[in-house]
Amino acid sequence: QRIRSQNIVPCTVSQLLAAEQVDETFRIRDVEISQVTIMGIIRHAEKAPTNILYKVDDMTAAPMDVRQWVDTDEAGGENVVVPPGTYVKVAGHLRSFQNKKSLVAFKIMPLENMNEFTTHLLEIVNAHMILRKNLMSASRVPQSFASAGMGDVGGYGGGGSLPVNGLTAHQSQVLNLIKNCPVPEGMSLQELKLQLHNMSMSTIKQAVEFLSSEGHIYSTVDDDHYKSTDAE
Amino acid sequence: MGDVHEVPRRRVATAHLAQHIGQPVCFVGRVEKIHPTGKFFVLSDGEGKNTTVELREPLDEEISGIVEVVGRVTNQATIMCMSYVQFREDKSPFDLELYNEALKIIHEFPEYFPFG
Repeated sequence: QRIRSQNIVPCTVSQLLAAEQVDETFRIRDVEISQVTIMGIIRHAEKAPTNILYKVDDMTAAPMDVRQWVDTDEAGGENVVVPPGTYVKVAGHLRSFQNKKSLVAFKIMPLENMNEFTTHLLEIVNAHMILRKNLMSASRVPQSFASAGMGDVGGYGGGGSLPVNGLTAHQSQVLNLIKNCPVPEGMSLQELKLQLHNMSMSTIKQAVEFLSSEGHIYSTVDDDHYKSTDAE
Repeated sequence: MGDVHEVPRRRVATAHLAQHIGQPVCFVGRVEKIHPTGKFFVLSDGEGKNTTVELREPLDEEISGIVEVVGRVTNQATIMCMSYVQFREDKSPFDLELYNEALKIIHEFPEYFPFG
């Protein structure tokens, strides 16, 4: 039920190699990570019957092993192997076996616009800085981190309109309702939907995820109830 | 390909080369000119400053646009190229100035963007 394990965090290969493993979880400087994205150039590709093994190089360390399982049931058969020399974005899970780290990819896509690579560099710094800040802030640590996942437009929870004070109109409305809620368990997503007739549940959820990752709100009894971090 | 691809290669601009003599680096720039022998070429970075890239073997193809070079910095603050790749710009032009700004950020926060 922990939202944190559903985060997808942009990382460098060097960060992944340095991640510490405790039981089933990995931590980069104490921040828990599971699903990650990397961007790099394919140095090597090897096709086997059930999987394709790539070596992806982002210059921060030696190339990382990235394994993509082939769907052998797929009609028409072949998974297309991305050729070496191609810049790709990879989304996958970090794994460690016999002390060697690798990624199991659920998505590998060639970059069509290399400016995405520049954005990725900045998103890595931003994401790890926010995660670290959330970890360091006392007591009420926000539970979720909404990262710009693959193909997301607008970055972290953008509401479409120009933000004021760093929040869009949607985000401000949601935050104000949560702030003014007197109930100990805070405001539920259902109550927010009842009060905000103009917003779809998915818009409300996006706003809540963003506010939570920025530290304005935190979840209480479960992932559906939130209180404001600005104490009354 | 050579062992320089197995170690961290810091992303740098022209101004940083003097501080990285002998070290493996990754340099992204725009092709300005290619020597007639094909043994070296000049790239400009996002600040418009030029860097000379030397090759062990002459170029066997035309290069143009944005190129990313992996290599080692020589004593003369040029780059001895071990490999290069051309950035695709068929869909969108690459914003080299923005990349240069990103370099400043990643250099400023090594704790969030470690090389090695």
